[in-house]
Amino acid sequence: MCDCSAPKHFDEKARVLANEQIGPRLYKITLAAPKMACAIEPGQFVHMQLTGMEAHILRRPFSVYRTDRAAGSIEIIYQVVGEGTSFMTSYVPGIECALIGAMGHGWQPCEGKALIVGGGVGAAPLFLFAEKLAHESRPFEVVLGAQTESMLVTRADYAQLLGRDPILATDDGSVGYAGFCTEPVREELACGQYAAVYCCGPEPLMRAVAAIAAEAGVECFVSMEKRMACGVGACLSCVVETSAGKKRSCVDGPVFNAKDVVW
Amino acid sequence: MVMALNLQVNLGGLVMANPVTDASGTFAAGREYADFVDVSRMGAVTTKGVSLHGWEGNDSPRIAETPSGMLNSIGLQNPGVAHLCEVDLPWIKSQGVPAIVNVSGHSLEEYVQVIEALEEDGTTDAYEINISCPNVDAGGLTFGTHVPSVTAVVSACREVAKRPMIVKLSPNVTDIAEIARAAEAAGADAISLINTLLGMAIDAKTRRPKLARVVGGLSGPAVKPVALRMVWQCHQAVKVPILGMGGIMTGEDAVEFMLAGATAVAVGTANFTNPHAENDVLDGIIAYCEQQGVEDVNELIGGLQC
Repeated sequence: MCDCSAPKHFDEKARVLANEQIGPRLYKITLAAPKMACAIEPGQFVHMQLTGMEAHILRRPFSVYRTDRAAGSIEIIYQVVGEGTSFMTSYVPGIECALIGAMGHGWQPCEGKALIVGGGVGAAPLFLFAEKLAHESRPFEVVLGAQTESMLVTRADYAQLLGRDPILATDDGSVGYAGFCTEPVREELACGQYAAVYCCGPEPLMRAVAAIAAEAGVECFVSMEKRMACGVGACLSCVVETSAGKKRSCVDGPVFNAKDVVW
Repeated sequence: MVMALNLQVNLGGLVMANPVTDASGTFAAGREYADFVDVSRMGAVTTKGVSLHGWEGNDSPRIAETPSGMLNSIGLQNPGVAHLCEVDLPWIKSQGVPAIVNVSGHSLEEYVQVIEALEEDGTTDAYEINISCPNVDAGGLTFGTHVPSVTAVVSACREVAKRPMIVKLSPNVTDIAEIARAAEAAGADAISLINTLLGMAIDAKTRRPKLARVVGGLSGPAVKPVALRMVWQCHQAVKVPILGMGGIMTGEDAVEFMLAGATAVAVGTANFTNPHAENDVLDGIIAYCEQQGVEDVNELIGGLQC
């Protein structure tokens, strides 16, 4: 049962339900975490302690890909980039991990059509937002970029929301536009029908998309990922340079208006 | 019958309802952790280091995980003493616990001015004079590693500080006892240690340092043996009480520091691993005392049997 009276930040012992490889170095882990499933808003993250890696003392922040409130579960898509994510691939159903959440400020809908731009694994933190826009019958388009077709692991889920394939770009040209997804973004914005761009991906991509949006006179929101320790706003590790000084990506973000970010 | 356990300790004139506070910089001023920690159960809240007009801190990346620990080079980012007095101290007081304000400065004059501002505000319960931050170019560590500068800064602070004054020492010295004696002689009511150990981490693949500032301070369980050794050495060297810290994750870790000579303990990096750590460490101390038949937590202080 969904109890939405839970406090803003809380912890929950999550149990692994599934953990499967879905692409090259890309995995999807499903966790039984009923409170978190209820509380997570699009673009928010959970701060996860990696069971079995006690000598790695810091938690890892993961954006939530999908939630199933009825089943009380959340899904996280992760890319193997270091020792922590490498170890996570060994998790089997039944293993428990401590989570804190729901952390951070996520994506907020705009008045008018939204352009969602997901680069690589950055497509995952935007899916709940796309789902929300679809649910509220708000207009949106989706551009997904990846190195190669097999890494477009969220393509089918976005296609289901849109009723057709999203606009695709691959570095190797295996599907869609051949090259970075910045070109399709430029083309879309040239039509002049968008109210805002929502981008998550590698920092150089977000920076480039923010510049294209600024040129087109369209607002752009980005999700900044910085090395994080506490996750609750206390330690000042994950700060982002902004026009108003240093802001904490964990609580002031991770979503920022790109015009405020000093890249 | 349940035995009444005395948890109250006296840290150089600061009466704490129990020995547990946080290590400066890991807990902000407490409010950020209030969803996870019952702050009213803490012996005191120790604030993030504060300077006169605030500092921007260092560039990112500011942290790197290392085996059983982490490096940080935050650089004492803070909004200044006025903000602390207006926003943070009232909140700490609303929790019914003492506030220990960590005082930082780029110059001797700045330390004095921060204390003067806090004396004028009047809500601070004790000072922790930070002469040991490894992450600022001026002040911090440069004051804390030589006897003459320790004497100078502690004496100057003593002249204006009317409340208990704890001096936070750096482990980045050859002889910690000598520094502790200098702080005591210059008027410290207590000493706290250890601050972080200067270290660095390198990414071999990119051939780049993992911290923007290249070097930073090591904390976490990795430093605990060094911290215990230094608390034990200081306990033999000075009469003033010690606030011990360095890698405390559990109540038993805290007890070890008290046995080595600490009167109170600070929980730091553990907050990042376990957001309930401040309360869990206290519960662990209580459980230890109950199991060991300890009626007064003060019995533990310096109780190491060598």
